[in-house]
Amino acid sequence: MARRTIQIDLNRVEGDLDFQLELEDNKVVDARCIGSLYRGFEQILLSRKPKDSLVITPRICGICGTAQLNAAVLALEHIGHIPVPPAAIRIRNLCLMAETVQSDLRQSFMFFTADFCHSKYVDRPFYEKARTAFLPFKGWVHRGALEHSRHIVEIIALFGGQWPHSSYMLPGGVTTPASNRHIIDSLSILNKLTRWFEQAIIGTDLDSWLAIQSADEFFTWLTAKDAHADSAIGLFTLISRDIGLQHVGFGTPHMISYGAYDDPDDAGTFSGQRKHLFRAGFLNGDTGDVEPFEQAEITEHVRYSWFQPYSGGRHPFQGQTIPDYQPHSDRYTWCKAPRYQNKVVQTGPLADALIDGEPLIRSLYQAEGGNAWLRQFARLHRTARLLHKMRETLHELAAHPNDPHMIPPNEKEIPDGEGFGLVTAARGALGHWVQITDGVISRYQVVTPTAWNASPKDSEGRHGHWESSLLGLTVEDPDDPVEIGHIIRSHDPCLVCTVHVLDTGKPMTVWP
Amino acid sequence: MSTHHIICFGNELHGDDGFGARIYAQLCQLTWTKDVEVFNAGIAGLNALRFFEDCSQAILVDALANFGNVGEVCLLRPEDLADRPEQLTGHGQGLPYLLEAIKVIREPLPDILIVGVEIAAVTPFSPGLSDKTEQAVSKTVQLIRGLLSE
Repeated sequence: MARRTIQIDLNRVEGDLDFQLELEDNKVVDARCIGSLYRGFEQILLSRKPKDSLVITPRICGICGTAQLNAAVLALEHIGHIPVPPAAIRIRNLCLMAETVQSDLRQSFMFFTADFCHSKYVDRPFYEKARTAFLPFKGWVHRGALEHSRHIVEIIALFGGQWPHSSYMLPGGVTTPASNRHIIDSLSILNKLTRWFEQAIIGTDLDSWLAIQSADEFFTWLTAKDAHADSAIGLFTLISRDIGLQHVGFGTPHMISYGAYDDPDDAGTFSGQRKHLFRAGFLNGDTGDVEPFEQAEITEHVRYSWFQPYSGGRHPFQGQTIPDYQPHSDRYTWCKAPRYQNKVVQTGPLADALIDGEPLIRSLYQAEGGNAWLRQFARLHRTARLLHKMRETLHELAAHPNDPHMIPPNEKEIPDGEGFGLVTAARGALGHWVQITDGVISRYQVVTPTAWNASPKDSEGRHGHWESSLLGLTVEDPDDPVEIGHIIRSHDPCLVCTVHVLDTGKPMTVWP
Repeated sequence: MSTHHIICFGNELHGDDGFGARIYAQLCQLTWTKDVEVFNAGIAGLNALRFFEDCSQAILVDALANFGNVGEVCLLRPEDLADRPEQLTGHGQGLPYLLEAIKVIREPLPDILIVGVEIAAVTPFSPGLSDKTEQAVSKTVQLIRGLLSE
């Protein structure tokens, strides 16, 4: 039996994500997801004034800074029981949706579909069509995504003054009201993107696309017209299924969603109690049931991480993030291992759609399970939903022109106490847990979507979700394992926006 | 409207990769005519596309590897990078990728020049330039001033 270890550098830009795989006769028998960059925001925030988090945490990520800001402000409002007006919630939602739409379009058509142009597929019937559509900087979809995705975050700049790394959400609301000019400009940006999405991505109008409710309806739609099959989502689907992505990359069956976009009609409540436009929950993979989500069930393990050891898992309010690099041990990553109800879970647009009960995604899931194609498909389906929801949100803002955008808090400072802010970022469940003692931050724990998905093994030796999704996979050519690229990209690895995996044949370290 | 954009790339936390940021800081000390604007693109990736708008000339500043001796200042055109996409350090293939992207969204293209220095090392989480890279700062600033006065 031939056994070999391959190490794959997943991120050529910052070098902060690697995979180390053990293969036996070309089958993955063990996987280690290695986060090789320690950032230390939890330490940076210690002993600072609570509102510093509104400036510092948006710098955690150049892609999801709006989500980080939203989580940070929700945590402070939770601690201070600070109410927020409905208009502020709508503006926050609008900006968060804009950020997610950009991320999803770029991830889909600048990173995921580029792998279809890999030379491995040169003899496949789809190859020329794939290159015409998806080849970086040449294909019509890639070029369109590059051009059109960059404008949508201008909506955030209108309300937040800048993007990325904006700080326009404050306890009690946002810094800028929705003026008529903001709304008109935002609609103009949204209309332009929606037109391109309809013409190029789905080959039909948004309402018709969103009316598809089942797997049967979708596959009938796909072949009903050339415009559907030749649309970007049509090509993506047909090629994905041709190479079998509907049969691989399942990972853990358990999923969580914190719920997406606070409900402005529930503005009188606080983090943890406020309803969402898209529901929160836990999809129990053993039973198939969606159970209520409870943040108290979250723990983080560090048994295989380069952090100061503690036994078992700890809730973020008891958590600690003290780096302790041990390169010659069995520890292998700077990522912690979050668990929910002591289970390995995954998060992201597939989990969000299933937990929310979106009919088409549920139907496809029931037919084939949570595979690599469906995970990516769910991301694109979300884009359609968000374009629709953004328009609705702008119309709601226009209908209430004089509503306040801020309720000034009674107290100038955030009081001592503890709170959390949970949001749905582009890559899934994002949470900030904050404790304030004597007027300064005494504990700050951030659990990102990628921490859930890129988790290492936990105290009980159970693999994280990405690792699990590769176990058992047969790799045709271990020196050029493009299959692994498809699967990992379907999870949207969040490290920097230019993550590329294997399409240039990046050399791998191989120990025979 | 400014027509010359100087766009500096790099991560000042990572040793010599902070060369672009260092040049940005130096350029900000100088007085420029109204048609010159200086930007710190950091590690903005595709978000740096914005800096290429509304200009007839874009001068990019970044750290280089395998273009010469350490500390050597180089003046390049985009085509000089075309066949060596993996050679730039700091942000891997950041600039070549960005230069491909700009061709898609910008017509006509501005005149693009790349000013860089061959660096000694990218050292994670070690702010500050190595001696030879630091010595190249004033020469680089002079070169940029010269390019703008032509």
